[in-house]
Amino acid sequence: MFCGIDLGSRSVKLVIMDHNSVQRSEIFETVQFYRKYGSPTPEGLVVDFKAVGIGEISDVVATGYGRNTINIVGATVIAELKAHTVGAIWQTGLTNFTVLDLGGQDSKVIKVRNGKMVDFATNDKCAASTGRYLENMATVLGISLEELSSYQENPVELSATCAIFGESELIGRIVEGYSVPELSAGVNYTIFKRIKPMLTSLKSETVIFTGGVALGKAIGKIIESELGIQVIVPKYPQLNGAIGCAVHALGKRR
Amino acid sequence: MARIGITTTVPVEIILAAGHIPVDLNNVFINDKQATRLVEVAEDAGYPRNICGWIKGLYSVVVDGGNIDMVLAVTQGDCSNTQALMETLELVGIETIPFAYPFDRDCDMLKLQMDKLIAALGTDWDSVMAVKRRLDLVRGKVAELDRLTWQENTVSGFHNHLYQVSCSDFNGDVDAFEADVDQFVLQARSATEYTEDLRLGFIGVPPIFNDLYDHFEKMGARVVFNEVQRQFAMPYQVDDLVQQYRLYTYPYGVFRRIEDIKVEIEKRNLDGIVHYVQSFCFRQIEDMIFREKLDIPILTIEGDKPGKLDARTKLRMDSFLEMLR
Repeated sequence: MFCGIDLGSRSVKLVIMDHNSVQRSEIFETVQFYRKYGSPTPEGLVVDFKAVGIGEISDVVATGYGRNTINIVGATVIAELKAHTVGAIWQTGLTNFTVLDLGGQDSKVIKVRNGKMVDFATNDKCAASTGRYLENMATVLGISLEELSSYQENPVELSATCAIFGESELIGRIVEGYSVPELSAGVNYTIFKRIKPMLTSLKSETVIFTGGVALGKAIGKIIESELGIQVIVPKYPQLNGAIGCAVHALGKRR
Repeated sequence: MARIGITTTVPVEIILAAGHIPVDLNNVFINDKQATRLVEVAEDAGYPRNICGWIKGLYSVVVDGGNIDMVLAVTQGDCSNTQALMETLELVGIETIPFAYPFDRDCDMLKLQMDKLIAALGTDWDSVMAVKRRLDLVRGKVAELDRLTWQENTVSGFHNHLYQVSCSDFNGDVDAFEADVDQFVLQARSATEYTEDLRLGFIGVPPIFNDLYDHFEKMGARVVFNEVQRQFAMPYQVDDLVQQYRLYTYPYGVFRRIEDIKVEIEKRNLDGIVHYVQSFCFRQIEDMIFREKLDIPILTIEGDKPGKLDARTKLRMDSFLEMLR
């Protein structure tokens, strides 16, 4: 059994794989994960895998936001974009595509050719166009994240993509009397506008859409209709990085 | 003998010929142990948060006990914020002298700027040219240090950066700086070769991060070309001073910089380029030109405040190296 861990900014994703499939997966809130299962030592962070509740594992490969700051004792650490590339290849069987990963606090676009990362872009130092922005907007609208991410028709024009200032602009639009579907579609469109330059410069005929944000339907559909390209959401969008880690562990062992 | 603060590389020969001490305010700022506090001093004075960290640092170095008598400010060819920097310094009673590089590299315009500076500081061309010949010797030694970096592989990316960037003001003391370079070069000649597997070029303004070069080296890559720093060191060895400052690529348009970079990419056998941009700087726009014109993988990294690399930037650097391998 091989274990892949993706230490994200908002959540920690963990998968256990055998040679063919994902056997088990867990998603923890990041701070809770460190508090409950991690203990810092001079050698790095020791994760109590027993307490996590996973059985016997032969190899642990980790990646994520904390790649440089958190060094998990006993684990091989690989670059996050590499993990996402490997995960996307394993999940889709494709080798030429662009990965769009919209996570809790950052967005990544990776161009892959012949199974190799050839270029990438990430968002600037700002949580716009990420899960955090969507969460804030859903809270303002008083709806679930799932509902928010289902609307794409008649979007309200929103200019601020800032995760904080976006709130006040959205409230202004609510006061103007727009409906929740129109407001939600506007929020989803701002995400598209924000990632469009990155997707355009690293374009492929197929986009593999991953990260927590890919769980919603609207953004993928907007990308397809606006850019005229195919968007594939793999079976485990949120676990893509962790899967990439486990596949890397598996490859090492072979 | 006055201590003259400079906002970027200027014809330093003129300051020295006039018997004054040049002080590159950037170097004072970034070497200050409390560089972050200096940014805050400017913000407390009213500098907006979303303005370049360097400009704020420069302001504070002058007003917060930097022992600077007057400031020679480059109002064209470096940073468009310098004009307001000059004005806010004047506001608190600091004497400033403007200097402008003509955008089109016009020879007469540049000479006129140098004539005006010579007059303002009360020196003459003969004295200036004598200093130029003296500095050419030192510039030659720094060029050798640069050669040792990429050809002999015995100098770190940081030291390559440090010695070349210091040629803006020769640390205010040409003789002492030369002695330091001599000693360093002597050691570098017999130093162990670096054996990293990736060779990088660093383009753009000098980084506000203090651990960038170290981090790359830790990850098995080394910067063997520092574009703007090398320009500061002016390795051209031409007789004419006006011509020297015309060959200097940094203050003019981006396209001549690209020509220079292309030559060095080939010569130094680079695997990738790191384009450093400062937050809120107009040079961020030029990134699209580099990406269009340079046929080599480019990583663009952005810095705002002085200090260590943040986790996000490290993640991007690591991924870039991974991609190059």
